[in-house]
Amino acid sequence: MKEIAEESNPSAGAFETHSREVFSRSVESLDMRVISRLNHARQAALEAAVQRRPWFLQVRVWTPAAGVTAAAVLGVALWMGAAAGHHPPAVADNAATLEDLDIFASSDEGSGDALEMLQNDIDFYDFADTAANAVPVANSGPAA
Amino acid sequence: MPAFDTLTQAWTVWDVPAPARGVAVLDETRELNKFLGEVERRAFRMAQVALRDPDDALDVVQDAMLKLARNYASKPSAEWRPLFYRILENGIRDLQRRRTVRKKWMVWLPGVKEDPDNEAQDPLDNVASGAADAPELLMRSEAMEKLEVALRELPARQREAFMLRNFEGLDVADTAKAMGCSEGSVKTHYSRAVHALREQLGEVW
Repeated sequence: MKEIAEESNPSAGAFETHSREVFSRSVESLDMRVISRLNHARQAALEAAVQRRPWFLQVRVWTPAAGVTAAAVLGVALWMGAAAGHHPPAVADNAATLEDLDIFASSDEGSGDALEMLQNDIDFYDFADTAANAVPVANSGPAA
Repeated sequence: MPAFDTLTQAWTVWDVPAPARGVAVLDETRELNKFLGEVERRAFRMAQVALRDPDDALDVVQDAMLKLARNYASKPSAEWRPLFYRILENGIRDLQRRRTVRKKWMVWLPGVKEDPDNEAQDPLDNVASGAADAPELLMRSEAMEKLEVALRELPARQREAFMLRNFEGLDVADTAKAMGCSEGSVKTHYSRAVHALREQLGEVW
C-alpha cells in the first residue's frame, strides 16, 4: 500500500485510500447468502485439495482396499485348502473312526469292561464254533 | 472439516504415528483454508464489479478456488495469492468472451431477444447486512456504486491492475504475475487507471 501511495502524488494517494475504504466497506456488507455460498465453495476446494494427493495418503482408499484384500486372502486360503485334499468326506471318515473307537473303548455293560468280557467267554465261543461245524456231520448219518 | 477428522481418526485408530508427510498435508490444508477465507470475499466483489452478475461472480470465484486447490496447493503459500488472482482474472475474461459470442449469435438468430433481466442487477446485492444507519449505508452504497460504474468504464487491463494493486494490495511484481505481463505494463495500466478514475470521480467524491 505504501508503495502505491509513493508512486502517485498526494491527492492521487488520497483518492486511492478513499476508493480502497469504499471497496472494503462493500466487502464487509456482503449478504449472508453470498457468504454462505463462498464458504461452501471453499469447502469444496479443500476437499479437492485432499483428493488431489497421492493415493497412499488418502484414507478413503485404505478402507475398501483393506476389505478387498482381506476377502481375497480368505478366498485364496479356502481354495488352497480344498485343493490340498481336505475335502468333506475325509472329515466325515475321521469322525466315524473316532466314534467307533469311542464305542469300543467305553462300556455300558455295568461292570464296565467289554474287553474283559470277551476274554472270559473265549472258551464258550470256541465250543460254539466247534459245535456249529459238527452238526452237519452228525445229521449226514443214515437216512430215514 | 470432514477431511481433517477422517485423516486424524484413521491415524489414531491404527495407532500408527503420523508420518511427516501426513502432518505436512494437514498443515497445508489448514493454510489453504485460511488463505481462501481471507481472499474469497474481496475476490467475489472484484469479480462482481467486472461481471456485474453475482451468480457469475460466485461461479468464477468457486472455479478459481478449485483450480488453485487441485493444481497449486503444493506450491509455497507465498505464491498462492498471485496464482489465485491469475486464475480468477482468466476466468473473468473467459466468461466475458463467452458473453460476447452469445450476444453476437443472439443478434443473428431470428425471433430471439436478449433477456433484459440478464443485465439487471439482483436487488439483493444492494441490501447491506451491516448494523449501520440507513443514511450511512445509502451513502456507502452510492459511493461504491459510482466507483463500480467508473471501474466498468475502464479497459479490462487497467481495471485489473487497479483492483489487484489497490483493493487486494498486491505489489507490482505479484500484480504482474497475476496479470501475466511485465511490471512495467502493470505500472502503466495502474497509472492510467488512477488518472481515468480521478477524472470521472474526482468531483463527485
